[in-house]
Amino acid sequence: MPTTPSSQNRSGPESAPETPADAPDGHAPLLGRKAARIDRLAELMGHREEGDHGAGVWRTAFARMRRSPMAITGAVIVVVFLVVALFSPLIAPYSPTSQAWGAEVFPNRNVFVGPRAENWLGLDNLGRDQFSRMVIGARQTLLVGVVATLVGFGVGALLGGAAGAASVLGGRWGRQVDNLVMRVIDMMLALPTLLLAVTIAALVGSSLTTVMIAVGVAQVPIFARLLRGAMLSQGSRDYVLAARALGVRKHRIALVHILPNSLGPVIVQSTLTLATAIIDAAALSYLGLGNPDPAFPEWGTMLADAQRFLSSAPQLAVYPALAIIVTALGFTLLGEAMREALDPKLRK
Amino acid sequence: MLRFIVRRLLQLIPTLGGLSILLFVWLQRLPGGPEYALLPDDATAEQRAALRRSLGLDEPITVQYLAFLRRILQGDLGTSLNTGRSVTEEFFTRFPATFELGFTAMLIAVAAGVPLGYLAARRRGTVLDFAAVGGSLLGICTPVFFLAFILKVVFAERLGLFPSAFRLSPGMNRTDLTGFVVLDGLRTGEFDVVWDALLHLVLPGLALASIPLAVIVRMTRASVLEVLGEDYVRTANAKGLHRNTVRTRHVMRNAMLPVVTAVGLLTGSLFAGAVLTESVFAFPGIGSFVYAATQGRDYPVLTGFILLIATMYVLINLLVDISYSLLDPRVRAQ
Repeated sequence: MPTTPSSQNRSGPESAPETPADAPDGHAPLLGRKAARIDRLAELMGHREEGDHGAGVWRTAFARMRRSPMAITGAVIVVVFLVVALFSPLIAPYSPTSQAWGAEVFPNRNVFVGPRAENWLGLDNLGRDQFSRMVIGARQTLLVGVVATLVGFGVGALLGGAAGAASVLGGRWGRQVDNLVMRVIDMMLALPTLLLAVTIAALVGSSLTTVMIAVGVAQVPIFARLLRGAMLSQGSRDYVLAARALGVRKHRIALVHILPNSLGPVIVQSTLTLATAIIDAAALSYLGLGNPDPAFPEWGTMLADAQRFLSSAPQLAVYPALAIIVTALGFTLLGEAMREALDPKLRK
Repeated sequence: MLRFIVRRLLQLIPTLGGLSILLFVWLQRLPGGPEYALLPDDATAEQRAALRRSLGLDEPITVQYLAFLRRILQGDLGTSLNTGRSVTEEFFTRFPATFELGFTAMLIAVAAGVPLGYLAARRRGTVLDFAAVGGSLLGICTPVFFLAFILKVVFAERLGLFPSAFRLSPGMNRTDLTGFVVLDGLRTGEFDVVWDALLHLVLPGLALASIPLAVIVRMTRASVLEVLGEDYVRTANAKGLHRNTVRTRHVMRNAMLPVVTAVGLLTGSLFAGAVLTESVFAFPGIGSFVYAATQGRDYPVLTGFILLIATMYVLINLLVDISYSLLDPRVRAQ
């Protein structure tokens, strides 16, 4: 797995900036800057080059990504992670919970077992096979990432899509609905995401489900803004006008015409959110709000537990930490490469 | 200008009002709650009901909210269930510590991030550029608490270069004026205290700076690259202005606008990062108290702190907007 800094660095010159520089806009609301950054991404799909009959945006973007070392590095990491996560029961040589070697490890006497022939990554503090735990942990991490992203995507897209559709097709009344929904979204945007997640997790109690919901809810405003922005930019297009002139029903225009054309930036954001979700989930686990059930190893919990032995057995923390960093990096690289491939402004 | 500020201030009211409703409803609606945290597990239903009554939890939700709102407006955010002290008091006694930490982190992030991002843009495609962009991606993907732990183990426990916990070494005598250790020390001339406090800020400051630093490097790089391609930069160069004049007056001034915005937005993430960093370094600030509150389900503290933090966040972004209009005449003109 290409994890060395040099392989990431190779992708340097093409790296998309985290956020494109926004043109100053005096009428932006208080949190307009954060919002404007999201809106900018939303706009991007709108800028389809006219007269570009040959290839669609996605196809040209894909062709561009195939030449980008950043995209390839990201894709390789993501594919390896997915394979490990999906086939983890087949890959893991031992049960992640079996304390078969418990007699060889004494954390209070600083006796730990490092990598050896039968335990590739050594044993953890309870004498469990670290490699098996890492492999099974990949699946839990994937689950957290995907479900959290789906929660953020689902709720966010519902809110943003409703607001966008109302604004484009609902007339004056619709714009008021849009306004109301967006005020709520802006309020959520005013809360730092991790803090929001911590609050939810603290109130609901600690479990894996809590982490997934908490991390997901924190992503809702971002998805909502993105989809709404994209739908607004699609709403003024000629094909929408044509559909309306033909008398296509409004909900059909929204669902069949506007929505599919607005999903691009949301899909890009999902890739980036997967990375954020994995990191935030690790943070919640560290705060003791994660999965308390040791039967399912999860990288964040493993990392949090291993902190206690950081001075005597640093490898126990380093494996899950590296796994989290590399996986998050993979999704980030892929997402950034996608964003860059879709954004003509970043391709100078 | 004044109208601009007043308008922005008025926009705060619905945002904060809505926020208070959101937080209130959400906190009330969730299962669990103080009667489970405060009473032993085998408490009877009558005991629970009595506690709910004494805390006003049996009133209708609207009555509870109006009472809540009235108290907020009077500056009373309730009493911490864990310490028995008022939430506002808890917040403001801890605020100086977190402010010093956050300020240090921002200082590190801006002082290192802006020059790094600028150099990366100027030397696009060189080793320096690769390192800056790669490093900042890595920074974004590294869990803050892990970085904090590594810094603590390596630089505090192994090498002994910096202290590993708290704001001051035990046994330090200082005159407390405002709670800001560094400022107080400078005013009273207790420079040993200042030095000791600064040493305590280095490691948590670095850990907390990691994400803002990464973001600022990338923002600055992207923004400088964009400005370098602008026509007015070419014009400035063509009319024979000195290189340094072009760089400072034309490139940097314009490139810094989005970075200023980013700094404002990043302060929000600083509060979240502080929860992680402060608990690793046992730093007695807002973050470690929020951590304790999550463990003890201290819900007045959670609501109160979130509301105060969100208010601060919104105010900081108001300041950013104002400074923006000072920096950029185009914003004022609108």
